[in-house]
Amino acid sequence: MQTSLKRFIKVLPFNVFVWILLTLYLAPVLFMIVMALMPTSQLGDKKAPLYPARITPYKYDGQEYQLYNVPMEDGVQTMALIKPGRTSSLLVDPRHPENGLVEWRGDWRTLTGIYEFHIAWENFAHLFDSMPVSKMVGNTFMLAFIGELGVLCSSIVVAYGFARFSLPGGNLLFYILIATILIPEKVTFIPTFYMYIKVLQWRGTILPLLVHLFFGNAVYIFLLRQNFKSFPIDLEEAAMLDGAGPLRRLISVILPQAWPVVITVSLLHFFYTWNETRLASLYLGSSSTWIPASFAVQNYQSLIRIDNLIEASTLIMLAVPVLILFFAQRYFMQGIIITGAENNR
Amino acid sequence: MQTTTVIKNRISTKSNVSVETRFKRQVGLILISPWLIGLLLFKIVPILASFVFSFTDFHLLNPEQIQFTGLQNYRILMRDTQAETALWQTIKLALVIIPLQTFASVFAAALLSSQQLLAKNTMRLLFFLPSIIPAFSAALMWQGFVNPSTGWLNRLILSPLGLEALNHFSSRGGGGGSSQTLFIISSLWTIGPSILIMMGAMQGISNEIYEAAHIDGAGRLTRFFKITIPLITPAIFFSLVLNLTAVFGGAILLDRGSRWRNDFSSYDGYVNFVLFEMFKLGYASSLAWVFFVIVMIIVLVMFATSKRWVYFPDREN
Repeated sequence: MQTSLKRFIKVLPFNVFVWILLTLYLAPVLFMIVMALMPTSQLGDKKAPLYPARITPYKYDGQEYQLYNVPMEDGVQTMALIKPGRTSSLLVDPRHPENGLVEWRGDWRTLTGIYEFHIAWENFAHLFDSMPVSKMVGNTFMLAFIGELGVLCSSIVVAYGFARFSLPGGNLLFYILIATILIPEKVTFIPTFYMYIKVLQWRGTILPLLVHLFFGNAVYIFLLRQNFKSFPIDLEEAAMLDGAGPLRRLISVILPQAWPVVITVSLLHFFYTWNETRLASLYLGSSSTWIPASFAVQNYQSLIRIDNLIEASTLIMLAVPVLILFFAQRYFMQGIIITGAENNR
Repeated sequence: MQTTTVIKNRISTKSNVSVETRFKRQVGLILISPWLIGLLLFKIVPILASFVFSFTDFHLLNPEQIQFTGLQNYRILMRDTQAETALWQTIKLALVIIPLQTFASVFAAALLSSQQLLAKNTMRLLFFLPSIIPAFSAALMWQGFVNPSTGWLNRLILSPLGLEALNHFSSRGGGGGSSQTLFIISSLWTIGPSILIMMGAMQGISNEIYEAAHIDGAGRLTRFFKITIPLITPAIFFSLVLNLTAVFGGAILLDRGSRWRNDFSSYDGYVNFVLFEMFKLGYASSLAWVFFVIVMIIVLVMFATSKRWVYFPDREN
């Protein structure tokens, strides 16, 4: 016990340093979360506190009013504002409502409200009312599912080909693979766009978002290949002597060792699909029934100018990937290995 | 007699090997065939097509009246000051952002792989978190954060320190220089994958090397700069390349989406403008091709110099 406490004290300065860095790094995220929980009435109010809050409500005569600090003859009093006015307002003393309305002379806008902590859950209710959330999220999951299926199957098979088979031209094809990562998208985009829109008439369908995924993704192929190469080859040779063909070896020897990198790649692709808006805006359009969540939320955010609703929609959008990241952290957070040296541990 | 059998043996083993390699090659080709087909359909053909487009007056609204105009587009391009400004802006931004991202990701990976760090997985997750925020939402978050009247930057940091509010720090769509500062700072929110790559490389370094250096009297900083950094140069190189392609509109390891109009680089933004507002496919193609050539030159220079400073373990065998 003593030693662990000693160790804790020893590592504390380092950890405090990391916590400070992290707080600075994530400050806008914290800001976003707090904003998302604020009621709309707080937004333009410069006297309001930084945390989500509202002016304390008070019920009088069956109606809801707000409590203010009012300077009266006998000092500052807590009063409920019944009828605000520029030169005189009507107030009620919440401790003695039976005394009736009191007139107060002065501009009600100079008064400071009495704030109480209040989370505006209605922001989220508003979002769910103004967007078909479950439909959008369902669309995204459908796109993610088809996309993952295509991109994982093709990339794994291709990466296996690159990792374990000598190909004609030596390393030339592998260098071409790397080169395709570096090609600016614009140079291939214009003819592809024309092809999809004018020749194939695929506007409004999900095909332009998915077709290319079935031919593998160069970055994923590269990551998978580097990992496959780092596995010891003996097991595969043993399987080969037992008569296992190439695909058999891939499925029963390589894949069982490759779960971390396969999970990493599938997560990278899921996050991509979850946030993808470019292809959706080009080929689907905002009125499509296939509209994915990211694009719908982006449209919502660019149309609505109310900050707390914008941040609330961001918070909702983040919930799914953060949950997934949380459950997959054991694999994902181990780091990505990119050197292809054989590992003989 | 004996020599002939030896030779015969040699010939027979040689042909056996070649049959085997030929079979292996065929299997390999079949395995990578999905990528090869994709390479042809989605890379080679479009690149050639846009090369051809770039010599025409191809227009999206009347594609039937396409005509070869020779070098006309490139002649216009040479005098296009908008394209020139956008290109320089992109290159300047890359020169600031890429070193910043690389430095920050090495630093963060070193912190996150430290033996002293408590709650390692949670800390890693939190440092990774901003990299999965959609680009559009992230931009709005930063704008809200620096907003002079309601943002936390002024209310929590600047005004308690007695500093003036940064009014010019760009609200929505704000002014040039300062929104670029904001853009550069917020580019640190995309380094999650780079951190993972650096961490993966740091874990690959065996403890024995560190221990040996420790016995030889190397301090913590010496060990970091003389052992860790040289051994993770492949990861640094890889993440440099990826950050570069991200700025120049290539493949992105973790794409967070954005809008066509205000794409990552200003050059991309200009090409989008020519494409989607003016519908000039031909001219946009020539812009894209010029950019393609520039990027390829930069990449070739990077790869050519990489032998001098990147340690490639595969190259040793």
